Amino acid sequence: MSSPIADLTYRGYDGPLGGVSKRWWAIAKYQIKKQVKNRFLWVLMAASGWYYAIMIIIFFFLEQMAVNNGPQGEQALKGFLANIVWKDQFLLGFSFGQFLFFVMTWILGAASIANDNRANALLVYLSKPCTKADYLLGKWLGIFLPLLLMQLIPTLFFWLYGMTSFASYGFVGAAGWLILKMIPIAVLGSALSASVILGVSSMFNQGRIAGIVFAGLYMVSNFFTVFVKIAILFQGGHGRSRIADIPPALLNLFYCSIDGIQIAIAKNILGTAGSQPFGGGGARQRMAEVPVPSPIFTALIWLALCAAGWAIAWRRVRAVEVVG
Amino acid sequence: MAVAEIRGLTVQYGRFTALSDFSVDIPEGCVGLLGPNGAGKTTLIKTILGFVKPATGGGHVLGADILREGPLIRQRVGLMPEQDCHIPGMSAVAFVAYAGELAGMPGNHALRRSHEVLEYCGLGEARYRLVETYSTGMKQRIKLAQALIHGPKLLLLDEPTNGLDPRGREEMLELIRSVSHGKNVNVIVSSHLLPDIERTCDQVIVVAQGKLRAQGLIKDLRKVEGAPIDVELKEENPKFMQALQERGVTLLSAHRNIYRVQGKGLPSDVGKIVFDAATAVGTQVRGYDLAQRSLEEAFLEVIR
Repeated sequence: MSSPIADLTYRGYDGPLGGVSKRWWAIAKYQIKKQVKNRFLWVLMAASGWYYAIMIIIFFFLEQMAVNNGPQGEQALKGFLANIVWKDQFLLGFSFGQFLFFVMTWILGAASIANDNRANALLVYLSKPCTKADYLLGKWLGIFLPLLLMQLIPTLFFWLYGMTSFASYGFVGAAGWLILKMIPIAVLGSALSASVILGVSSMFNQGRIAGIVFAGLYMVSNFFTVFVKIAILFQGGHGRSRIADIPPALLNLFYCSIDGIQIAIAKNILGTAGSQPFGGGGARQRMAEVPVPSPIFTALIWLALCAAGWAIAWRRVRAVEVVG
Repeated sequence: MAVAEIRGLTVQYGRFTALSDFSVDIPEGCVGLLGPNGAGKTTLIKTILGFVKPATGGGHVLGADILREGPLIRQRVGLMPEQDCHIPGMSAVAFVAYAGELAGMPGNHALRRSHEVLEYCGLGEARYRLVETYSTGMKQRIKLAQALIHGPKLLLLDEPTNGLDPRGREEMLELIRSVSHGKNVNVIVSSHLLPDIERTCDQVIVVAQGKLRAQGLIKDLRKVEGAPIDVELKEENPKFMQALQERGVTLLSAHRNIYRVQGKGLPSDVGKIVFDAATAVGTQVRGYDLAQRSLEEAFLEVIR
């Protein structure tokens, strides 16, 4: 089984050995290396920016019209841009990408601990100078960092397009700083998704089962978000007075899902309730959006979900039977 | 010099005491850890690795404190667990290199050494295969490879021949013997298979009911009290027995043509009497050696 030209004698290792701290980085690095090679994730990332892509296409054609039709086209572009609230566009882009972020989270995290459980990999990790905290932090970062990157790239692309194409239409003043707000939104959103999937993954011995449970959790909790949307429609759909008829507690149900809480974070940080997609409807329509929830409510739900994910994982991952 | 010094260790799981005031110095070399199920071997190894916090007592492994320096100990020690374990979705070379990185090796060093260690463990040509596709014997070898990758000074091998066919077992024992002799690696082999311990180890530690029952060189443990001698004749000869008794040598047992005898004085004095008796009855002595028990007999007596 061994090569005839190989030197088969055993030699000790006298090369460098790092310290016993920061072993979590070795785990995270391996996870990230593995994930970035998954081409399907990059396809999903590109697809998650579909709203931004459509906006860019609309802008591109309006720009071309402005160039080709002279002052009349210029007027049409200015009229369209007047209806655009840039922070709402970032909010919409983030909100519409949620389902694909969920799929990415699923791919990145469902098997992360579950498959280790199946293969007894904890024995390998914990027999090295890794602690349970190293293991969990490494696994969490291995989900969090790629997810963060994949959430930020489409946003950054849209922002760069705006900065280069609409600087003269007031984009720099109105939205130049928005990228700084999008970073914490993506950080908090990715942290939440990574924590939840980490907890779910730790509960099972098969990545597939963990994935199904996570998907179930996502869909069931999303029921509240969809339910509130439908309630608003039944109330008449639009207008501040109609929204005001719905009890705030019911409206807050909109945010009681994995998607919803991320949208709540985005609304709080961007300071907007949002508006109709593609700048449609104008100011009247904006009032129909679910109001921004209180920061305390948002922070509590976010913290509770993150803590629950970590607590489950912490409890499930144990310094296993090392021998016999 | 001892690789591990354990002092007054008491480990409890709830009301159950797994180790009770346990003290031992684990010497350098290849040491067998023997004991019946539930004796406390597992707990001892878990404690050495820093996974279990003892109620009282403490100790040092390779100079590191077992109470405070668990990760440092695990960096200096290589563990080959009994259970099948691997990281899914990895080829053997990636798996072993990753194990090295987990132990603190830089990535390039880990990868280079992964190739070397896999060659050494006889997996050179299968190193690019996924570990999931390995046979039981290959999985045992890769567990040894991941334990060796960072050049540990102490190897803990738990049932290293589990699930191996006779040839695989021979090869694994040969590997263990080779790594533990002249390579500056100390080895502790925990096994229920006494022949495996006899083949690989020079010394044993016997644990039973959470206490140290015996420790020492295997050859000392196998010695029989009173230093009797086993005499092997060419063929069975009742007259030889009589001749021995006439010369004041006590016959302890006779099994076909092998006689266990005990006389007064040094073994050389007894030897003279034995050969004299053999000459007198006209039989040929084919073997003459100090009587030894099997390790199994010694083990059973110690834990009784």
